[in-house]
Amino acid sequence: MKDARADSEIVAAGRGNDCQLHLPDPRVLLRHAEFTLRSDDIYLEPSPGSDVRLNGALTQMSKVAAGDKIRVGPYELILEAPTPEARLVMSVELVQPLGDDLQSFIGRSKTQVGAVGLSMRAWSWALALLVAVLTFGVPWVLSLFTEPPPVAILLNTREQRAPAAPTELWTSGGISSAHKFFGDSCEACHQTPFVPVQDGVCLSCHNGVQHHADPNLFPFASFADDSCQSCHKEHQGNRTVALSNQSFCADCHANLPDQAPDSTLRPASDFGDNHPDFRPTVVTDSALQIASRERAMSDTPPPVEDSSLDFPHDKHLRSGGVKHPDRGNVQLGCADCHEIEAGGSYMLPLSFDRHCHQCHALKFDTFLADRELLHGRPEDMFKQVTDVYGAVAMRGGYEEPEAPALIRRRPGTQLTPEEKKEALDWAGAKANTIINGRFGRGLCDGCHQLFESPASAGQTGAGWGVEPVTAVNRWFPKAKFSHGSHRDVECGTCHEARLSTASSDVIMPGIKTCQACHGGESAQDRVPSTCIFCHGFHDSDLPPMREPQKAAAHEEYWLRSTLMAFRSQP
Amino acid sequence: MQESILVYRSHLYLKLATILTGASVVAYLWHRPLGVPNGGTWLGYTLGTIAALIMVWLAWFGVRKRRYGVGKLMLEDWLSAHVYFGLALGVIATLHAGFQIGWNIHAVVYVLVMLVIVSGSVGVYFYVRFPRILSENRRGMTLDIMLGQIAEIDREMRQLVLTLDDATNKAILLATEETAVGETLFGQISGHDPHCATTRAREFVERAETAGDDGRRRQILTRLVRKEELLVRLRRDVQLRALLKLWLFAHVPFSVASMVALFIHIVTVFYYW
Repeated sequence: MKDARADSEIVAAGRGNDCQLHLPDPRVLLRHAEFTLRSDDIYLEPSPGSDVRLNGALTQMSKVAAGDKIRVGPYELILEAPTPEARLVMSVELVQPLGDDLQSFIGRSKTQVGAVGLSMRAWSWALALLVAVLTFGVPWVLSLFTEPPPVAILLNTREQRAPAAPTELWTSGGISSAHKFFGDSCEACHQTPFVPVQDGVCLSCHNGVQHHADPNLFPFASFADDSCQSCHKEHQGNRTVALSNQSFCADCHANLPDQAPDSTLRPASDFGDNHPDFRPTVVTDSALQIASRERAMSDTPPPVEDSSLDFPHDKHLRSGGVKHPDRGNVQLGCADCHEIEAGGSYMLPLSFDRHCHQCHALKFDTFLADRELLHGRPEDMFKQVTDVYGAVAMRGGYEEPEAPALIRRRPGTQLTPEEKKEALDWAGAKANTIINGRFGRGLCDGCHQLFESPASAGQTGAGWGVEPVTAVNRWFPKAKFSHGSHRDVECGTCHEARLSTASSDVIMPGIKTCQACHGGESAQDRVPSTCIFCHGFHDSDLPPMREPQKAAAHEEYWLRSTLMAFRSQP
Repeated sequence: MQESILVYRSHLYLKLATILTGASVVAYLWHRPLGVPNGGTWLGYTLGTIAALIMVWLAWFGVRKRRYGVGKLMLEDWLSAHVYFGLALGVIATLHAGFQIGWNIHAVVYVLVMLVIVSGSVGVYFYVRFPRILSENRRGMTLDIMLGQIAEIDREMRQLVLTLDDATNKAILLATEETAVGETLFGQISGHDPHCATTRAREFVERAETAGDDGRRRQILTRLVRKEELLVRLRRDVQLRALLKLWLFAHVPFSVASMVALFIHIVTVFYYW
């Protein structure tokens, strides 16, 4: 700082131009401090609010002397010894010059995003490590200490449930509904890492799953090269692994005649668009018990059933009712004879005793009002009638006016041997008359087909017989149907029984009836119904799929298996 | 990089990515899987393989962009394809998943990939939009010129204020010593400083009672206003350039994490085959 002199009793130090000691720095106040000279003493008086240090210490009004160092803002003043010319002598030095404006501004500012302490590399490593540890490291380490129980044990131990596996985080989707009870235990099925689930795992519970078709007749339909997993897809959420996709079946059945010329099945790929009409299994020869399914419901002529029974539905269901022996006129409905079985699907078999007898009592003699013909066993019936009249002849008291007096005698009267012979001759003749008359043969003929057969020795009344009744227990044995699910639909909607005049009619619906409500998989205006809606894949008549035993040729088997012989055993 | 990257080679890579995406969508709609669509069908595995290859290739861009003059394709080719195939990945990965998501490792990959795609899309938006805004904001000045002008104003103000009262002098001193730009990440992103010393000094000078020396006071006020205006532009500049880089702080780490998750996804899928 250049030399300066002032001639005054008070020397002011500050930024102001009027200060004797001019300190031009913005960090100095306009009037920062004053030096006052009194006699030989020099006093330093800082201005209010100013920051003045005397020898390093904050100071108020103080006496100063040569050698003292005074800081006024960035300046350092050092008092020197007075000279004859001047009582206050000091050197002034700017010890803290202002920095370069540009450099200090740049120093304070951060104009690059990288300057605020972000590190892409550190952040990347941290995130990658976090993902690796949480999604792989922790589950894997924990899995080393978890031992799952085998599924088959779980299945039969109701209290036990599979513990949750730490590797559940690796699951590719929710477990199917039926497998949920061990679904948390990955190793229950995934027994070897990096190896697909083996059939043995499935078969440990499902060991009886049957073939789809006879593997001898249709080897390509044995699916020997496919695993259970090929069709049954697990980890698809809360649904069943028995998938209902139409393509499952349509892939082969759309062109089945090409693939399996021996099959009697017709092509089918979509219930709404491409499905043959229903071909009911019907009895074609009741006596020989032969069934077939040649004709479809819509064929001309339609399928005809030879059950050997004569039952006109129209007469029984006619409006106005039928005559009941005790209750007068009764309006019959379907449910009066056809009762749904407890499972809710099919109808119980019909029987004479429960469904016909109330109206069709087999009384054969008004003078024997409590006697009825035995039903169901014609040979026994012949014997029964003969025995009945034999007994009547022995006892007497028979009230028919045309009968001989011997038969009408007071009961209990002893007979001579001649009278006995005469009575038995009458009994034989009477039995013969009844059996071959209106109340014998005539009654049977009302509902049954009769056949002529020469009387064999010792058989009274023989010479004709009743054809055995044979029916199928299900007309469509290859299709599942639940009457229970259709209980709100009137019977007549599907079964046109009121128009049926003969029991040879097959009063079953054709496909058109079902198609009124049901369509194929992608039907928009019908119930979407894929193949397994009605048909099963694994055929319960066939042996287990994964066992090497030979299956029987079963076409004839299931055709016969539907037959039901309505003939009581003696 | 400008909008040109999006129209590069007459949208060649847009067309290629669209063909790939379209083919995937058509295959998905045509395919009738057993059960619900998922990554485990043949189409699921195919789409998954394509998606994984795209992911690895996209990540390779991080390496490729640091190598100049390698290979036949220009960096612009890579970048243009990177953008369009990255967007295609979003569709293909979704089809691969069959629109399913759950609390599992597979969903972790999916979410990470989507975060990468979203952050990348934000980056593309920034790169397309910001260069023009940046240059308009700078009005022909470089960053150094703006910084230099502020320093010059500071110097002038300090000279001018020397003879004014102590309070004004103090305010100007603070304005020159404490005003800063982009001190924190939030400060950089927000683009303004609510406690800016220069603004406070300007408000003080405007408010202060005039006690003579109005000429100097006006001169100082003019400079404070000018400095504030420069600061607004400077902070906007810092903000835009920060955003231009900041999306990468999501894009790159999520990419790295998604590669790790992808690896774990593939391993675990086959671990529990």
